[in-house]
Amino acid sequence: MNTNLHNAMSSDSGPNSGEDTLRLIAGLPAPAGLEERVHKALRAAPRSGRVLAWPAKFRAKAALESNWMRAAAAAAIVFVVVGGGWGVYSRVQPGPAGKVIVMPQPMPSSGGFSGAGAIRTPATIPGPKVRDQGTKGPRDQETPPAKKPAAPKKAATSQHSASAPTPQPAVSQ
Amino acid sequence: MSTSQAIYAGWMEIPTSAVNEEARRRTEDAAISALVDQYAGALYRVAYSVLRNSTDAEDAVQEAFLRVLRHRDTLAEVRDHRVWLIRIVWNIVLDRKRRAKTRPETDDVSELARVLPSTGLSAEELASAAEHHAHVLKCVEQLPAKEREVLLLSAFDELSSVEIAAVLGITESSVRSRLFRARNLMAKLLEHDRSLR
Repeated sequence: MNTNLHNAMSSDSGPNSGEDTLRLIAGLPAPAGLEERVHKALRAAPRSGRVLAWPAKFRAKAALESNWMRAAAAAAIVFVVVGGGWGVYSRVQPGPAGKVIVMPQPMPSSGGFSGAGAIRTPATIPGPKVRDQGTKGPRDQETPPAKKPAAPKKAATSQHSASAPTPQPAVSQ
Repeated sequence: MSTSQAIYAGWMEIPTSAVNEEARRRTEDAAISALVDQYAGALYRVAYSVLRNSTDAEDAVQEAFLRVLRHRDTLAEVRDHRVWLIRIVWNIVLDRKRRAKTRPETDDVSELARVLPSTGLSAEELASAAEHHAHVLKCVEQLPAKEREVLLLSAFDELSSVEIAAVLGITESSVRSRLFRARNLMAKLLEHDRSLR
């Protein structure tokens, strides 16, 4: 559908809609000599927009011999790559054998932890020994009783004297 | 039929052989030269409608043809050269307007009176008309960009809605809806200003 909007615009827009102004401006004639100036600018412009381009005489010749040149270029690239690789390979000397450190083999894990054969022994503190009164060991009989410390002995004697009737001093009347 | 039309219609074929490179280049130059002769005026008017400065508009036209020269290899693929060229110059002028925020010279009423046709008008009528046009252009500048672009392009008699859509890269229905909105907005703006006076 190729509809011209001008007719629709003319019917819709009144004289004060402003489109008459735009149409006046759109219909202004181009300045005289515009085409000549554009031609001049085009002639002065650089002809080639290509960044890398062969000269025309080489370009035509190269186009004719393009297959041959492509093959030659491919061969040259292959030669350079292979030659470079060989040069590197031939200069590399194999170094002395390094020391081998044997690492312990890791335990095979079958998933989860294992006890590794360990037996669990609870670490208990040795408690007080109960002395059996009936059966005294020979060690108990032979060993003399331990000496009591001095201070409790004194206290015991003073206690004993307090409970016992003290001799009254004779009072002369 | 012009040279460019003859070339692209098919019966003047551009030789693609590399051997005839020189002849091909000469043919392309002739085609571009024909495009200049045929469309330079139209491109100038499109550029002027946006920039409203004769020097800037002429520069834009020259730049558009320089771009064509740079991409002359793709000339054969273009179907409608007129729309293609208008699209190029349209992008150039929008870019220039965005970059250089200079005031158009036709915002001056006196300059507008000088530029616009004044046949059969007295000096007083001419001044009044110039003032009206300046006021209208000020209102156009207040429109949103999308609506303004469609309104400016619709003022060209030779551009159909399909061609406007091709220049702007939108659908034809979008052109119509934007034009409808632009007209409504313009009417409101002009009515508002009239009521203020």
